Order: sequence, then C-alpha cells, then structure tokens
Amino acid sequence: MYRKMLLSTLLVCSFSALSNIVVIVNPANESSISAEEIVRIYTGRSNAFNAVNLAESAPLRAQFDEKGVGRSSAQLKAHWSKLVFTGKGTPPAELASEEAVLDFVANNPQAIGYVGADKVTSAVKVVHTIN
Amino acid sequence: MKKRVLTLALLSCFVAGSATANVAINGFASIKGGMTTGSDEQLYGYDDDFNLKNESLFALQLKADLGDKLSVTGQLMGRGSKDFDVGFEWAFITYELADNMHINAGRLRTPFYKYSDFKDVGYAYDWLRVPQGVYGFGFDNIEGLSFYRTAELGSVESTLQLVAGAYDGKATISGLEVDAEIKNIVGITWELTQGNLSGRLAYLTGKATVDAAAASLAENFTIGNLFATLSSLGLSDLVSSIDIQQEKGTFIGFGLTYDNGDWIAVSEITKVKVANSFIADQNNYYVSVGKRFNSITPYISYEVEDNESRDELFQPYQASLPMQLLAPVQGLVRSQERSAKTWNLGARYDFHPSAAFKVQYSSEKNDTSGVRAGLIAVGVDLVF
Repeated sequence: MYRKMLLSTLLVCSFSALSNIVVIVNPANESSISAEEIVRIYTGRSNAFNAVNLAESAPLRAQFDEKGVGRSSAQLKAHWSKLVFTGKGTPPAELASEEAVLDFVANNPQAIGYVGADKVTSAVKVVHTIN
Repeated sequence: MKKRVLTLALLSCFVAGSATANVAINGFASIKGGMTTGSDEQLYGYDDDFNLKNESLFALQLKADLGDKLSVTGQLMGRGSKDFDVGFEWAFITYELADNMHINAGRLRTPFYKYSDFKDVGYAYDWLRVPQGVYGFGFDNIEGLSFYRTAELGSVESTLQLVAGAYDGKATISGLEVDAEIKNIVGITWELTQGNLSGRLAYLTGKATVDAAAASLAENFTIGNLFATLSSLGLSDLVSSIDIQQEKGTFIGFGLTYDNGDWIAVSEITKVKVANSFIADQNNYYVSVGKRFNSITPYISYEVEDNESRDELFQPYQASLPMQLLAPVQGLVRSQERSAKTWNLGARYDFHPSAAFKVQYSSEKNDTSGVRAGLIAVGVDLVF
C-alpha cells in the first residue's frame, strides 16, 4: 500500500516535472547566469562551470535541450560529435537521475545542472527557471 | 617507419597511461550504399552495381587525459574503399595553454574547409556526403602543429587556428595514384559567429612536389619519358614550367553559414593554385539549403567546379615543337581542364538518438566531356 502510494507520488512528480525546469548551482557559487550563458555552457562554448546533464533516457533531458539550449536532442548530439571527434571538447557528464544531479551540484562548488522545479532542495541554488 | 614509431609511441601512451589516466572511448560509423542510375555512368567510386563498401567507414577514438592540461588523442579508422584496413587517421597530443587556447601536435586534419575536421563524421551534418566538387581536393591530413584560440569580440565569437606542417603521401593525378609531398605548409583559418550567422576564411600555402613520372600519357609513354625527352632536346624550361617540383601552392577558402535551428544554409567558395605546374587553377563553390521538420531534414545543394587548364604553358611551343611531343604536352595540360555542375537532393532522418538515416540523389553534368551521371545513395551515420 505504502509502496503504491510512493509509486503514484513518483509518477505525479515525474509528470509535473515536465512543466518547469530549474537550472541549479552550488550555494557557494555567487555568479548570476543568463539564458545565453546556459546555452554557451551546454554547447561547449564556455568552460566556466563543471556542467552535468541528465541521461538521454530521462524525459527532462529532451525538454531541457529544446527549451534550455534551443536545439533538438539530435541537433545537439550532432553538434557535440563535431567537437568530440576533432578533439575540441567533451560533452557534460551524463547522470542517471535528478537526485544524482542534485547530489553532484550540492557537492561541487563549480557545478551547474538542472532538475525539475519540484525536486529542488536547499542544498543547491536556483539561478534560472525554464518554463 | 616514421608512422610505425608514432603508432607505437601513441599505443604505449595509451597502455602506460591507462592505469592512471582518464581514457574516453568514442566512435562513429557510416554504412552507405549506392548505385548510378545508368549502365555506363560512374560517380564518386560507384557504378550501376549496388555497392555497400565504397563510402562505408568505421572509426574508434581514444582520448587519454593525462592530467596537468595534457591529453593524447588517437583516431583509428577503417574505410570500405581501402578494404577496412585500419590506420591512424588522427594522432596528436593536446596541451591546453589556457581555457580558450590549445596546441595540438601530431597527425592532424588539414583545415581547408568548414567541414574538413569532421567530414568523416556523417552524423555531424545533414548531407549524405560533403560536396565533392569542393571537398575532393585530397591532402586531408598533415603532420605538424596547430594552435587554436577562441575569443569573444563583443557579441561575436571568434575561432582562430594556425597550422604548420607537412604532407607526405598519395595524390591522384589523372586517375593515377602518385607520391606527393607538400612541405612548409602554413595556414590560418578564422571563423566568426554571431547568433545564427557565421563566416569562415582559410588561407594555406605550401611547397608541393608530385612525382607523377609513372603516370602514363599513352601506351608505353609516361610523364617521366616525356620530361626526359624534352630535357634531352634542351627544353628544360618547358619541363620546369610543367612539372611539380617544389612549387608554391596556395589555397583560399571562404564560407558562410546561416542556421536558425529550422533553416540551414551553407556556402563555400575555394580557390586552388599550384604555380609553375600543369595543375589547373581550381575555382569551386557550392550552395546548400535545408529545412528541418522535427526529425526530418530535406536539403538541396548545387556544386560548381571550374578548373581551367593552363594552355599558356604549351602555346609558345605550338610552332616549334614536333607534333609527337606537342601532343602529349598538350594532352597533359588539357587533362586538367574540368567544368562540372552537380545537383544534390536528399534528406536526413533522425530515427534513433544516436543514428541518422540519409538518402541523397546526385546528378553531375561534366561540361568538359559532355558526360552526365546520376547517383542514388542511402546510408546510416551513427556515433557512439
């Protein structure tokens, strides 16, 4: 019974996560980060932060690619393959879950990542919201 | 021998480093097949028998981060056209001077064109193949150094690359594979991007030597025979104006790209010149436009090749040279004449997160020979 409730809560969460994404940094990070800077970070044009991504299988990933970076997942993958196979860049590490992203950002002062708005904890700082 | 030493050195880097270094393995592959539309037509290595080997390739890249800003990258590639024999297409070490500056040393891609660096990574672009009318120049790789710097000039992003090195390998002259060497290659490329628009300029020079002596002009009569005969008649001036011995070669390329996520338009114009040689001046360009509809991107492109043979080389000798010598000289110079126009129509379909299906129809009209050839090709490009 409890498990079922937990499961349905999780399902509700993962669906509601499709509405809002927040870009998060470590609380120790004082920088303000613009939408353009996020695009630059996730297209490899800025190395200012240690960026992490969600795995391709995560539903939030495609939404972030589309609305946060402004390109489809396939376009971004094509873009990154240019950089990877010419030795000009390495894409952000992919983490399996939003919890893993929260964990990573909470523990790395230079980290930047994103999670669903409802997943945010006080261990990280929200710098940008994507509707 | 040199190559073997390089290979061994790199391999030992990977092996020795693997205990401590962070090694990333990536790869890409293309499986492509095609056939020409007519029985007597040939294009890009295809004829009218369906062929799955010609443009297929498989590559594995190892990048070992050795720490302290040093990394080593090797790209092993096997091409179907070379029987999938595997060799190091790229092999270089990278030293990061700063966040926006690095130096590569080793075997590198010659940065002639906008897509030179990743022309084998079909997944990275929409076309089934890069426009051959412009990209068919050869001399893909050099051994040398490359300095790379990115910067922001206001809202404009600048990418500057300086290269220096040498090429020692094969070239194709009149359909025959010959030994070629380009020394003292120096070049600069500069790309500026603002929003959806980007422009690129490339300028490279080098001293080219091509040993075409074995290429035959007629039965039992090679270029070497011709040059020897002309020299023995005291016409060494003519020989040196035709042969390719330490001649200055220049390459100029200009590219423009517009990409707003939905529409993508690309154009490149190139100019190649090899002084004091029978190589024609080459003026080529292409224009391509594509439109993305979710996972499908249809495109159309047009290529023009204009290689004007250097008839001024033999014209002063037309009266004085006996016909049996004038004819092969004229033949050699005129063999470089080429005027061709190609239409391409195709589409990319992203059917999988790591793979794209492509189909492309190409129709080339060679105005010099009057021959037309059509080619239909399909394939899958993937990265992993």
